[in-house]
Formats: sequence, structure tokens, C-alpha cells
Amino acid sequence: MSVTYTERKTGSALADFLTEKAQVLSIAAFFLICVLFFTLATDVFLTAGNLLNILRQAAPILIVAVAMTFVIITAGIDLSVGSQVALVNASAALILAMGVPWPLVVLAMLLLGAAIGLGQGWFIAYQGIPAFIVTLAGLSILRGAALYMTQGYSIPIRDVAGFFWLGRGTILDIPVPALIALAIAALGALVLSRQLYGRQVVAVGSNPEAARRVGMPAKWTIASVYMLTGLASAVAGLLIAARLGSGSSNAAVGFELQVIAAVVLGGTSLFGGRGSLLGTVLGTLTIAVIGNGLILMHISPFFTQIVTGTIILVAIWLNTRIFTANFSFKRKT
Amino acid sequence: MPSGETEPPRIALRGIRKSFGSIEALRGVDLDVMPGECVGLIGDNAAGKSTLTKIISGTYVADAGTIAVDGEQVRFTAPADARAHHIEMVFQDLSLCDHIDVMGNLFLGREMTRWSFLDNRRMKARAREMLSDLDIRIPNLHAKVAQLSGGQRQAIAIARAASFQPRLLIMDEPTSALAVAEVEAVLRLINRVKARGVSVILITHRLQDLFEVCDKIAVMYEGTKVAERETRRTQLDELVKLIVGKGEAI
Ligand SMILES: Nc1ncnc2c1ncn2[C@@H]1O[C@H](COP(=O)(O)OP(=O)(O)O)[C@@H](O)[C@H]1O
Ligand SMILES: [Mg+2]
Repeated sequence: MSVTYTERKTGSALADFLTEKAQVLSIAAFFLICVLFFTLATDVFLTAGNLLNILRQAAPILIVAVAMTFVIITAGIDLSVGSQVALVNASAALILAMGVPWPLVVLAMLLLGAAIGLGQGWFIAYQGIPAFIVTLAGLSILRGAALYMTQGYSIPIRDVAGFFWLGRGTILDIPVPALIALAIAALGALVLSRQLYGRQVVAVGSNPEAARRVGMPAKWTIASVYMLTGLASAVAGLLIAARLGSGSSNAAVGFELQVIAAVVLGGTSLFGGRGSLLGTVLGTLTIAVIGNGLILMHISPFFTQIVTGTIILVAIWLNTRIFTANFSFKRKT
Repeated sequence: MPSGETEPPRIALRGIRKSFGSIEALRGVDLDVMPGECVGLIGDNAAGKSTLTKIISGTYVADAGTIAVDGEQVRFTAPADARAHHIEMVFQDLSLCDHIDVMGNLFLGREMTRWSFLDNRRMKARAREMLSDLDIRIPNLHAKVAQLSGGQRQAIAIARAASFQPRLLIMDEPTSALAVAEVEAVLRLINRVKARGVSVILITHRLQDLFEVCDKIAVMYEGTKVAERETRRTQLDELVKLIVGKGEAI
């Protein structure tokens, strides 16, 4: 008897692709179902005006969710983003009211956001305090600072057309904030999948000790992702101020939950190492569509909060149970 | 210094101590490894083998003692310092990133880039060479490491450490999950790098392997080095006695 040695087949590339992209595909499907549902349930949902409106409103969430994806891939979390948005929002209005030129204000706010994020990142990466604790403290401190500065009043912004254009303008009918957000998402996707920095972020989230042992700047990488959320929160705070024409310490309440829900819904693992920016974009749009659709259906806006919370819970449940354990599109043979 | 022609050891450890809380993992260890020499490091579990090699690779910082590389005193405060001296280590836990593909793990910390973008084409070609040099068969370089078998994972960790011109190669139980042919390939690799002048420290429980590649065998017991033997002047049963603590110490 002779035995022939045969090589195992490499398996269908399609099956590998489906397993790899299972989460993005499932959120894409869920997104389409939501769109279909609201299209049928309301008359106005699928109109150009409404869709552009959704994009404009989702822009700040998307911008911060892109940065939050990096944070969550390192197995971290940033709960302070809503407060950072409020602080920048209020500070920008106060400084603009003093008559400082708006490009300078934008630059100063971006620096402020980066500095706040880096400060939190320093506690997390170099002092080893859990991200949850540091950013929970940040949530309280930064919102408090915004309240203290404004004494709780809304600060009007007057006569800065260039600044308002950032929040209200359009290019080829598409809202400027949406264009900024999509550009940031594309940039984030490029950095995460193609650049050395993205590789370092994934490595640190996957196995921090291994990253350290091969000489990667593990601590700096962790600190830097919080700088990204700080920077992104500053952009979001500025866009909100420009859209509303005022700054308020009560801006972006509950914002962090929407951002985290969007990222987790998009399939980024809370345990670190795995994440997708396409998923984050789809997750953000899904949450925005649900919020918008429920309002169009004249359902109480308070109900949106219940839905957002439920989505977070179900998404995390799927995230931890089904996708990590024994879920596979491959046929068992 | 005796005469001009004796070269200094590739690595010389003197009085290395390390405690973790109340546990004295190392209680004053001396070890010399010459260029092109392979030293086997054996001992019971918890003898301190991994801790000692992690100190050499900069993963831990010793509480006391000195390290000299090629006769020059060094102080490693981070793994990158040891890597800069071309000291590479295969860790017992392998230190791979499960969410990154085979190619990415081979180049972890040494990514080839162009304008800060990963140069995947160049890395892929090089990765194929690295694996075939070691007779490692992993068809899909883009498979995530989490999907691979224990042996394949170990093979990747070995390829990563051996492929970037190390001057000292440390292997902490590199063959525990390997099949027969793969163990042979690792032993061949060790003999090959030795011939190039690379020093090797091999930790293993497969004592028979030591006789194929090692010049010297050091035995550790409870955080100390209790014996050192030249491979050609010792036998398996003597090593076993030394490990369990019934041998005659030097
Ligand atoms: N990171 C650590 N923290 C606490 N104790 C440790 C650590 N690393 C090693 N030890 C202890 O040091 C001793 C030696 O361990 P190790 O060097 O891993 O032994 P070996 O590799 O010879 O089996 C053991 O008692 C172990 O529990
Ligand atoms: Mg060990």
C-alpha cells in the first residue's frame, strides 16, 4: 500500500473574508434594515434634505468616535469626551466674544484639547491608573470647569461668518461638518490599517508586554490615543459652537455614551486589539438614523436614550459572547 | 586581562540578583557565554531560568549584579537597550500579538516603512525568506496568529528572534510545542548560527537536545547556579542528579 502525501487546501478565501469581516457585515446589514424601516415608516426620512441633516448632526459624534476607536483598540476607554466637547464649546464662545480672530481661536482650542487628552493619557500610560478612573474624573472636572467659566449661561457668538461656515456651510450641497467628519474617518482608517502608528496601536492593545519587549514605544502609544480623543473632542466642540452660534457648558451631555455605543456597535472589541473604522462609521450612522427616525415618527425624544442604551447593551453582548467565542461563517467539516 | 588574543565573553553576568516581593528569584548568578558558544540552561521549574534570561534581554532590571557585553559594562533598562546590542530572545510565552497577522508578528517592532506607511510588499518577500530559511511551513502569511497551532506560533517566535542578525540568541523552551521535524530544524538552526559566531543560550527540558548543540551546560537550582559542565564531559544521568539536587556541585 502506498500513501500519498497531499497538502491541505488553503480554504476558501471567501469564507475567510466573511469570518474576518463578520462584524462589519452584520452592522452594515443592521444599518440597512434601519434605513429601510424608517423609509417605509415615514414619508420624509429618505429625502435628500433629511439625509444631509442626519450627516450634519452625526458629524461631531463621528469625529470623536474615530479617535475613540483608537482608544478602545488599546483596550482603553475615554469617558470624558462629552465634557471636553463642552469645555471647548464654552471656551471658544467666551474667547470669540472677546474679539479674538476666529482662526486663532480654532488653533488654541485644538491645542487645549490635545493638552487635556495628553494629560489624561499621562496618568493612564505612565502612572498606571485605569483609564476608566482617570477619564471619569476628567468627565467631572472638565464639565465643572465649563460650568464655572460660563456660570451655566449660554454664551452667544456674533458676527464671525467664517467660523459659522464651519458649522452651517455646504460644499456641493453637502454640509461642511459632514465633509470634515468623513475626511477624518478616512484619515483614521488609513492610519489604522496602513501606517506604523496604527500597527503600534493594535500591538499595544493586543499584547502590551509583547509590544514593549520588541521595543515599541508602548507607553507613549497609549498616552497618544487620549491625545487623539482630546483633539477630536476639540474639533467636535468647535463644530457644535459654529452650528448653534453659541457656546454652552451644557453642550454634549451624554455624548460619551453615543460615541462609545457607535464604536462598540461597529464591532471594535472592548478587550483591545481588534477594531474597524468602517464599522465605527456604520455604527455612528446607525445611531444617528435611529435617533432621527424616532423623532420623525413623533416618538418621544426621551425614548431615544432608552434605545441608545439598549443598543449599547445588545452590541456589547454580541461583541463578547457571539463574535469572540465560537461564531464562524465557515461550515464545520 | 591575560593575553591579548583571548576575546572577552559575548556576555558576562556577575552576581545577578532579582527579587519579586518576598521571592528571591535569583540569588547571585554568574554566567559567561563566549562568542559562537551555546550554553544550555537547565533546572527545575521555578529555578529562575526565565528570570535570568529576561534580565539579559532587558525585560527585567536586575536588583544587583553586572552585565558585560563583549567586555563592556552595560546597563539595560528596557528591552530596546538589549535589542540595540543585538540580543534577541524567544520568550517562553512567545510574546506574539494574536490580532496581528504572521507577517506583522515577524516584523513586530522592526516594521519596514516608506514615509511612515508599512511597506507590506517588502516585508512579505522578506517574511517568506525568513520562514523558508527555518523550514517553517505557514502557507498564509496573512493569517492571524490566533488561528495558528501552538507549534506554528512557536516557530514564528523563533523566526522573529533568529532572523535579524542576533549576536546573542536566547531561547526559553522554544521546542516544547514542536513536532519532531521542527525540533530538528531548530537544532540545525542553532548549529548554523553558532558557526556564524552567534552565542546561544538554550533553556529546555529535553536534555537529549543539549548534547546535540550545547558546548556547556549550566544547572540552576532555587535561584542559584549550582553547576556548570562541559557537554562532552557529562552524561544525562549526571545532569538529572544535578537538577534534582543530588549531584556534586563545583
Ligand atoms: N513577574 C514575576 N512576579 C512574581 N514572581 C515571579 C515573576 N517571575 C518569576 N517569578 C518567580 O520567580 C521564580 C523563578 O521563576 P522563573 O524564572 O520563571 O523559573 P523557571 O523559568 O526556571 O521555571 C519563581 O518562584 C516565580 O514564581
Ligand atoms: Mg521558565
